[in-house]
This record gives sequence, structure tokens and C-alpha cells, in this order.
Amino acid sequence: MDPIFQPFRDDPHYPLDRYEAAADLMLLNMGPQHPSTHGVFRLKLVLDGEIIVKAVPYMGYLHRGVEKMVEGLTFAQMTPIFNKHDYVSPMTNEQAYAVAVETALGIEVPRRARYIRTILAEIQRIASHLLWLSTFTLDMGGVIGGGAAMMMYNFREREDIFDLFEAVTGSRFHYNTHCIGGQRHDLPEGWVQRVRAFLDRQERAFDEYLRLIRNDIFDLRTKGVGVMSADLALGLGITGPNLRASGVDFDMRRDAPFHAYDEVEVRVAVAQGCDAYARYEVRMAEMRESVRILRLLLDQLPEGPICGSKPVKMANAVRVPDGRGYTAIEGPRGEIGTWLIGGGEDKGAKPFRLKIRPPSLHAMAAMSYLLPGHTVSDVVVVLGSLDPIMGEVDR
Amino acid sequence: MDATLREALAARFPAVDLDQDVLLVPAADHYPLAALLKEQGYTLYVTVAASHHPGPEGDAFEVATVLRRPVRGAPSVAWRVVLGADPHLQSLYPLFPGADLQEREQLDLVGVRFDGHPNPVRLMLSEDWVGHPLRKDYAPNMPHAPWR
Repeated sequence: MDPIFQPFRDDPHYPLDRYEAAADLMLLNMGPQHPSTHGVFRLKLVLDGEIIVKAVPYMGYLHRGVEKMVEGLTFAQMTPIFNKHDYVSPMTNEQAYAVAVETALGIEVPRRARYIRTILAEIQRIASHLLWLSTFTLDMGGVIGGGAAMMMYNFREREDIFDLFEAVTGSRFHYNTHCIGGQRHDLPEGWVQRVRAFLDRQERAFDEYLRLIRNDIFDLRTKGVGVMSADLALGLGITGPNLRASGVDFDMRRDAPFHAYDEVEVRVAVAQGCDAYARYEVRMAEMRESVRILRLLLDQLPEGPICGSKPVKMANAVRVPDGRGYTAIEGPRGEIGTWLIGGGEDKGAKPFRLKIRPPSLHAMAAMSYLLPGHTVSDVVVVLGSLDPIMGEVDR
Repeated sequence: MDATLREALAARFPAVDLDQDVLLVPAADHYPLAALLKEQGYTLYVTVAASHHPGPEGDAFEVATVLRRPVRGAPSVAWRVVLGADPHLQSLYPLFPGADLQEREQLDLVGVRFDGHPNPVRLMLSEDWVGHPLRKDYAPNMPHAPWR
């Protein structure tokens, strides 16, 4: 990469007039409605020929004011709101919220419920990474020799996952299955066998994906593209697979176990490449690891109650007293955190302030550091490799 | 909080009560505390959350920051700063580039200004939006709410 772009990679606010352009600079707006922006997102690109000099992200097109809205809702009413943040992994978003309120109240979740949560979270991780893989390869156009072929294969397995979730929760996408203190729905008869059969199919499918994706074009387009150092990733607050692809061996599932992760061994996938290819490697390895963890969890799934007492149905039965705290779990995209201040309206039945920490917003911040010096065609590769979900960025 | 960090914090910030889950820190110590934590290995910038606390003596604001060490056990430190009716606080952007967008979001929604921020403009709402929605005196049916 040409060193004249280095100041822009180090500091996205570096003044543009210090750049000696070879030709006239051109301004290109990518988005808000561009097929590869995974939602509604605008990227302002300053181009010198085909090379990006500066990239400025603009967001907020999907802002729904959730943090304001929940200040008027009781704790039992919020779960269906939270699973629409990151609409690709609703399950883990519900869990992040449930864990936050349970921690604030000091509620212990029954062991079986913790296992069910872990199982659902791992299946959700596979579904989420499958959608990432399909859109990532789709963004690269004919990288696998034919448009949407990869997407069709991925969605075949993703449909199976929706069937599994539907059997448990009655809903294919917005589940609303977590309540404060446990689960709303127990696993139905024969579900565990269905999951085992799915895992066998999924394991075979990985090899199929690799046969589609392993080619020189894919390597050329991803290796050395969007290199993010570990220091930059940590400073930006990037977590999850993107952080592990920068060589940082950190995963909340292993390092700060929640749910039932303390009862299974989690082998964390780490790659040292720091580029788009490393992020691909980490996510592929994570899907295989999820299959392994799921088999272990299904083997040792305990019997027992799934909720501490009766599921909370009274609108203001849950009251969080005045106090503040931060809790986080590891979702498919990284750390989903909740900053909760209790003691809101109606004697604490509503939160005073609830802030969601979306991993995707931190990932979006990396765009302006990674893009200078790359060509326009690399934008979709870098954006796709970071796997942002705009619903979560804007909330 | 491990012993080395506790010692370092007690030596540098004697006025701060280290037994709280969320440390209460004077505004002047906000930036030095973040710098010290970064030196101690708390390099993962987790989040910043501002909130509005209206009271009989006028408005108060709180800005909470969380940093984490990316190692086994995932230790984190959270602290909050209480600000008066004209809330402004030193930006952490020079230490953590992730503060850029995060602080802009809090500026936008709560209206806390961050001194030394390189680009202090709204993030989520449009530039000509009036008011800060997450303040307690802002309601969606306010007469001047600019629905377009």
C-alpha cells in the first residue's frame, strides 16, 4: 500500500487538504440504499481515481429510539423489543437483556434453563454466521463462480434452524422466549434428536461450503484486505470474531462464562492474519466449534424446572431498585452489553436508563481506519468481513 | 479488582471509594483514570453511557464509562462522573479511538459535550434536530418535535 495513505489510516480526521492528489478528488456516496450495506447505511468516500483517500460513515437511518421507548415500558414488556436490534441473532439479544435484569435483581436461573439458553445461543451463532457467509460471498459478486449459489446453500441450513426454533418458541424469527428468571418454553418431545440430526447435516455442509468457496479469486480478494491491528481493534472496542481475527485470544464464553458455558470446554478460534481472510477463518472455525459444543450440551442436558417460579406475566411484577451496573454476554458479533440504571417510573417497574452496547457500532467505527488506500471494490469486502447489522448499530 | 490495580488507583486517586461496583469519580479525574487503566492493561474500550437526572436543585447528568482487560476472567472497571446543568467532560478519544462514535451518540441523545472531541456532531439524528431525546424532559409528543 502506498505510504501517502498512512496518515488517513492512522487518523480518520486527518485534513484532506494536506493530501497531494494525483488527479481531482471525487466524492462518492455509497448508500444509504446499497445492496451491500446490510441495512441502511451511508459511506461517504473521497476518491483519488479508484483509490479511497478518506471514508466517513453515516448512520442513524434505522434509528428507532429504543432507549427512549423502553423508559416507558415495564421489564416484562421489553423482550420483544430487544430481539429486533440485531435481527440476525434475536436469541442472544434477548439473553443479554434477561441476564442484565437477572444480575441487577440477583436472580439465579435454574440449571436446565441455563442449558437451554446456551443451546439456543449456539444454534443462533451458527445461523448468524451462515447469514454472514452468504452475504459476504454475495457481496463479492461472482467470487464463487455464480452469484447467489452460496446463499442458497447457507439458507438451506438456516431454514432448518428456523424450524428448530419454531418448534420450541412457536415463532420463526422473533422468539420472545426468555423471561426474567428463566425460559418461557421448554424443549418439546423429540427436539434433542432433531438437533442432533441437524448437526450431522450441518457438519457435512461445511465441507460443501468449502468446495464452493476455496478458490484463488476468494483468496486474492480477502488476503491483505482491511488489515486491523490488535491495538486498533481494542481501542475501537471491537469484540467477538473481529477481535479474535486480529490475534487477541479473548472470548467471554470462556473468559467470563455466563449461562452454562462454565460446564463445557470452549475452544476459542483465533487467527493472526488481521485481514478479511482471518475474519473469515475465525467465523468458519466458530461454526464448527458451535457444533462441537452443542453435542456436548445435548449430552449433558439436565432435567428440572426452566424458570425460577412461574413465568412473569404481571406487567409490573419485576421492579429493579435504584442502582447501576453493566453486564455483558458474548453474541455472534461480539460483546452485547447492557448499562442499566434502575429505579425508574412506577417505583422501579420501568428502567431509569437502559443503554445497549451494540458490537456492530464499534465495528462500523473501524471502516474509516481500514479503507484508505484500498480500491472501491474492496469496500464491500471490508464491510462484509466486519459483519455489521445496521438494526443494532442504530437501535 | 486485583491488588496491583487497587494499589495503583489508591495511590493516584485517594479520594475515590474503591469498594463500589461503579466508582464515583470527580470530573477532573475522568481522563487521568482512563489513562492509568489503559497503562494497567485495560485496553478494551467497552462503552460510555450518559443519563439525565433532574432533581429539585436542577439538572444533573451522569456519564459512565467501562473498560475491560481482554484476559481470562475478563476484569472490567466501570466508573461514573456526575455533572451539573451544563454537562461537559474531557473526551477519551486521544486514548481510545472508539470513543469517537460512542461519545457522539451520547452528545446526540443526551446532550453531554465532550471537550477535545475531533468531530462533535450528532450521530443518529439529523443535524437540525432540536433537543436531546434521552433527557427526561423530552417527550415524543413535544409540540416542537420535528417530525418530517
